[in-house]
Amino acid sequence: MQQETIGQERHIQYQNLLNLVGDQRQETEDNKPSLKATRMRSIINSHRMMEAYREGSRVAYVSEQFPSELAFAFDMIPWNLESMAIMLAQSVDVDKVFKLTQEHQLSRDICSFLRGPYGMMMENCYPTPDFVLTNTQPCEGLSKVGVLSGKGYKAPVLALHAPNTVDEDSVNYLVKQMEQMMSQMEEGLGIKLDPDAFQSVVESSNEAREYYNKTVQLLQTKRLPDVSRELQEIFGMNYFGVKENAKICKVLYEEALQMTEVETEKKKRVLWIGQVPEESHELLEHMRKVVDIVYWAPLWDANMMMLDEKEPLKSIAERAILYHWDAERTQVETSQICDDHEIEGFLIANVWGCRNVMGISQVLRDIANSKKIKHLTINIDLVDRNNYAFNHVKNRVDAFLELLQ
Amino acid sequence: MITAGIDIGSLSTKCALMNENQEVIGYDVVLTGGSNTAATEEVYEKALNKAGLKRDGVGFVVTTGYGRENIPYADKHVSEITCHALGMHITNPGIRTILEIGGQDSKAIRINEDGHVDNFHMNDKCAAGCGRFLEVTAKAMGVELQQLGDISQQSENTVKISSTCTVFAETEIVSLVAVGTPIPDIVKGVHNSIAARATSLLRAVGLSGPLGMSGGVALNLGVVKAVEETLGTEVYIVENPQVRGAIGAASIGQRLT
Repeated sequence: MQQETIGQERHIQYQNLLNLVGDQRQETEDNKPSLKATRMRSIINSHRMMEAYREGSRVAYVSEQFPSELAFAFDMIPWNLESMAIMLAQSVDVDKVFKLTQEHQLSRDICSFLRGPYGMMMENCYPTPDFVLTNTQPCEGLSKVGVLSGKGYKAPVLALHAPNTVDEDSVNYLVKQMEQMMSQMEEGLGIKLDPDAFQSVVESSNEAREYYNKTVQLLQTKRLPDVSRELQEIFGMNYFGVKENAKICKVLYEEALQMTEVETEKKKRVLWIGQVPEESHELLEHMRKVVDIVYWAPLWDANMMMLDEKEPLKSIAERAILYHWDAERTQVETSQICDDHEIEGFLIANVWGCRNVMGISQVLRDIANSKKIKHLTINIDLVDRNNYAFNHVKNRVDAFLELLQ
Repeated sequence: MITAGIDIGSLSTKCALMNENQEVIGYDVVLTGGSNTAATEEVYEKALNKAGLKRDGVGFVVTTGYGRENIPYADKHVSEITCHALGMHITNPGIRTILEIGGQDSKAIRINEDGHVDNFHMNDKCAAGCGRFLEVTAKAMGVELQQLGDISQQSENTVKISSTCTVFAETEIVSLVAVGTPIPDIVKGVHNSIAARATSLLRAVGLSGPLGMSGGVALNLGVVKAVEETLGTEVYIVENPQVRGAIGAASIGQRLT
C-alpha cells in the first residue's frame, strides 16, 4: 500500500477516534465521566506530543500566548515551554529535576513553572526544536528560558517584542516584526509560506474562537461544572489555528448548552487568579466542595478576540499587545468579568517567584475592595513541593470559604 | 445545652465549655506535644473536671486550629480566624480589628458589628513574630518565656534585631549576648521586631476601629506595649487570650444549637 494512502487513511482514523472517544456512557450515581471536550483534548494532546518526537516533524518551542497561528501556518507543532510544568508536577521524579537545576545554579527564587521545564530540558525530555519562538509578554523570564533553550539546542531564537499600548504605531511595529519572523522561518525551513494555508489557519482560529466565546457567555450566569476548567485548558493549550481545536471548542459549547437545561446547585463563585494547578490538585478539590471556581485567564479580552481575516497579522498583533498585564486594562477587564460572571470572591494564587502575579496582585485586591468582593491571596507552589504544604494553605482557604458563606 | 470548643494549636491545645448564656463554665490549656489527639483528650477531660461535668453532658463539640479535623467526635470544624473573631466579639462587641499572635502564626482580623469576619491577613511561611519566635529567643537568652514581658520593662536602650527569620534572629541574639548586651535591651528589641511585623499585618488588613489582641502572645505585656507604641493606639487585651479561639468555637456551637 502506498505511504500516501496509508497517511490519508490514518488521518481519517484519527478523526474517527476523536469522535468515538468523545461519546461515552451516561453518567450514573457512581461514575461521573469527564466532559467530551476533555476526553477529546487528551487524545489530541497525546497525538501532538507523539508527533513532536517523530523524525521529520517541525517543532517550535513557544512561550505562553505566543500567536500559535504563525507556527501552524508553517505546519509546525508549537511546544509550549511552560505548560509542561503541570505535567511535571504530577511526576514522582519532580524533585530529581529540581535538584538538577540547583546543581546548575539556577536560583530557587525563579518560578517553578520556569525551573521545571528548564530542568526537563536538562534531563533531555523535550524534543529538539527547529525554532524557538518567543515574546516578551506576559513573562519575560519565560522568554529568557526560550533564549537559553535556543542556545542549548542550537536552534534559531526569534523573539517578538510586544509594546504595552494598543495604537496604530505599536500594532504596525509588531506586524513588521511578525513579517520578519515569518521570512526567517521560511529561510530556516527552506519553504515559502503558503498564503492559503495561513488563511485556513486564521479561519480555524476564528471558528474555534466563536464557539469559545459562546461558551463563555453561557458560563456567565449558569453553573456549568468543569466547563470553566476546560476553557482554562483550551487557553493553556493555545492550539487556535488547527481544526481539532475548533472541534473541541464546538463540542464544549454543545455540551455546555445541554447542561444549561439541568438545574445545578448555585454555589458562590470564586475567581481563581494566577497560575492554575492540575485538575486533581487537593486545593481545587477542597474548594470545589463549597464554591464554583471560575478561572480568570480564559476570560481575558485577548482570549475572546476574533481575527480580521482580511488583515490577520494586524489583529494578531493587537491581541498580542492586549495580553500584556497593563494595570489599567486589567482593572477594567477584571471588573467586567466580575460583573458578567457574578463573582463573589477572588483567590489570588501567588506562585513563589512569579513577579508578574505579585506585581498585579495589588491592582486585583483594589478591584475586589472597590466591588466589596472578598479576597484571599495565597503563596503557593504548584510544581515544586518543597515550597508548598496543603495544610499550611488550607487554614487560610477554610477561613476564606467561611467568610464567603 | 453545654457546648465545647477545642482549639488544637501547634504549641498548645485549649478547651472551653460554655452554657446557653454564653458563659464559660470551665477551660484549660495543655501543651500539644507530639500528639494532638492525646492533647485534646487531656485538655477536654481537664475542662470537664473543672466544670463538674461528664462527656455526655456536652451536646455539641466545635473544633478549631490546625488539628481540628483530627477529632472524630467533633460536630463541626471551624477555622480559628472565625473562632477568634467571635471569641473577641462576645466579650467586647466594640472591637473591630483583632491581632491574634499564636504559636506559629499571626493573624490580623477585621470584624463587623456582628462579630463576622470582613477581612483577614496572616503571616506567611514563617514563624518570625509568633510564639515560636519568642520561645527560641528566650532560650537563646537563657530566660523563661513567661518572664519576657517583665524583663523588657527594665530596658534602658533598645537593640534592633535586624533578622526577619527566627533562626537567623537566634544567631543574632546569641552574638549580642556574647558581647554582653543587657538582656532587657535584647528582649525589648525582640518585642519591637514582633510589633513591626504585627503592624504590617494590621495595615494590610486595614486597621479600623478599636483594636483587640488575643492569642497566647497577648499574655506578654512587653509585646502588647511594643504594639501600642508602634501603632500609637491602645490595645484591648481580651480576658483569657490564649483560650479565646476555643471560647469562640464553643460560642459557635451555641449559635448552631
